[in-house]
Amino acid sequence: MMSKKPGIAHIMKYVVFMLIVVFVVLLMLFASGSNKSFDEVRQGVEGSLDTEVLTEQEPAVFKRNFSLNAADYDGVMYYSSGSNISAEEVLLIKVKSESQIQEITDAIDQRVEARINDFDGYAPDQVKLLENVRQSVRGTYIFFACSQDADAYLSAFSSSL
Amino acid sequence: MLFSSITFLFLFLPIVLAVYYLVPYKVKNIVLLIASLFFYAWGEPVYVILMILSIVFNYFCGQDIKVNEDDPRKAKHGVIFALVGNLLILGFFKYYGFLVETLNAVLPTDIPYRELALPVGISFYTFQAISYILDVYWKRAQVQKNILYFALYISMFPQLIAGPIVRYSDIEEQLRSRKMNAVKIGNGAVYFIIGLAKKVILANSAGAVFEEISGMAAGNLSILTAWIGVISYAFQIYFDFSGYSDMALGLGKMFGFEFRKNFDYPYISKSVTEFWRRWHISLSTWFREYVYIPLGGNRCSVSRNIFNLMVVWALTGMWHGAAWNFVAWGVYYGVVLVMEKYIWGVFVDRLPNPVRHIYTAIIVLVGWVFFFSPSLGYAMRYLLAMIGGGAGIVDNTGVFILISHWLLYLFAVIASSSLGIRLIKAVIRVPRNQYVQLTVAAVIFIGMFLISVAFLVTGTFNPFLYFRF
Repeated sequence: MMSKKPGIAHIMKYVVFMLIVVFVVLLMLFASGSNKSFDEVRQGVEGSLDTEVLTEQEPAVFKRNFSLNAADYDGVMYYSSGSNISAEEVLLIKVKSESQIQEITDAIDQRVEARINDFDGYAPDQVKLLENVRQSVRGTYIFFACSQDADAYLSAFSSSL
Repeated sequence: MLFSSITFLFLFLPIVLAVYYLVPYKVKNIVLLIASLFFYAWGEPVYVILMILSIVFNYFCGQDIKVNEDDPRKAKHGVIFALVGNLLILGFFKYYGFLVETLNAVLPTDIPYRELALPVGISFYTFQAISYILDVYWKRAQVQKNILYFALYISMFPQLIAGPIVRYSDIEEQLRSRKMNAVKIGNGAVYFIIGLAKKVILANSAGAVFEEISGMAAGNLSILTAWIGVISYAFQIYFDFSGYSDMALGLGKMFGFEFRKNFDYPYISKSVTEFWRRWHISLSTWFREYVYIPLGGNRCSVSRNIFNLMVVWALTGMWHGAAWNFVAWGVYYGVVLVMEKYIWGVFVDRLPNPVRHIYTAIIVLVGWVFFFSPSLGYAMRYLLAMIGGGAGIVDNTGVFILISHWLLYLFAVIASSSLGIRLIKAVIRVPRNQYVQLTVAAVIFIGMFLISVAFLVTGTFNPFLYFRF
């Protein structure tokens, strides 16, 4: 008896499964977080920062600017410019659970919006920085940078994971 | 997107309902599918791709099983491939990190791994896909030739994120044709409003108390505070999850679908067996239909039946999360249910009803301690506090919470039994005139909706507890 040729469904299920595998590999490469400790990731990011422009801020400043409580998370690193006419800042947070991610990304969006309103009309270069912020959510890590070197900081964050 | 969010209530839902009822009948499923994909992509812009791939994968697996239905060997290979594929995807996203962490803990290794966020609803939609595959294989349902209908079954937004888990055989016919009318929309709206009120008024308020108590070290809790904490959690998880299920049922009705109820007043149960017939019914039914019965169910020896029950309950625990406390929670229920079935069930049946209620409540509350604890060590410390191993019998914290929240607990007790609905119905039926009754009902439910919205506007972001499963 001649065996039947595999049907289109038979072939497609393997093709789609392979696509799922490729998708997962891409996620692992570009969207995954890390089980590294907060301190390890922090060191990786901190090492790339221009500390002549950015200085580390107290949890109270973080709370004032983002309306979030640093104690609610596994770790918070917040650097911002000491100058009132600069919008530069870098934020790294490790959340305790994924359910906290949304509140943080919302707070970052609100912060950017508020800062654009602050600088609109008198500091167009800062508004431009705010319109080109870099933000990344990788697993339980959330990174945000508003800086001329935002791309380099983001790259340092990705490499530190 | 959350059902209990202003964006959903005042933008997404009205627009989707309006478009759904304006388009011709043939296009309604497509509208609902597009809305569902948009709904999912709103919160999961990357993982919507995974869900679409999962839909296409299961669609072709179903077709392949159907093509080979006359060749049992090939059909069996097809179903095994589909099951392994689905479980690998679910297992990777849900248990990969847990597995590596466990290996690192028990072996002298430090294997690094890259964390991935858990795709919201993956446990629910994977179980629905498995239901389809097995229903087609067992010839309980016809294979779905229309990929849009199949995609709608997997992704339908009312039950996509946190169930109820709809079995394919239950909904197959409704995908093709279903009744839609004003009465059904009205009933759906009532279900939805009740669910919304349960979530934003009762669950979130009980959750705030639980959060306050669970923030304290377990060793510093008095017996009173520890019990208030676990009772608050019991109310939070019930109103959170049953509220979501009510909203899902209501939304389903608004779009013409009928889903089976997922909760049936579980806290009025008089035995643990009865509790599990009333709690998360769709999950219990899924495990019964697709795991317990295929394993042999209870039509086998006692030892085999005990094995079957323990397997089902260990899997139920694991389904809830990749952590040992969930495994312990599942095994705990497995042991209790085996004991109830074979040892003390007959004695429990002879006890007076109040004693049976207390017995069930204690077992369930102890179970919730395992469920909410971040680790088994914390669970043990909390259980110790509940029997006096913490800070004495009564403390100021417990007394203050009782005095300041007694009304919340009163409402919670009423609403977790059928008394709540019976009271509302009684009030509606006070006037004899039918039109006045309708007006009273409208005032009650619109009032409930407005109060819920007020809670939403003033409250903080509060996702549903079952989103993480």
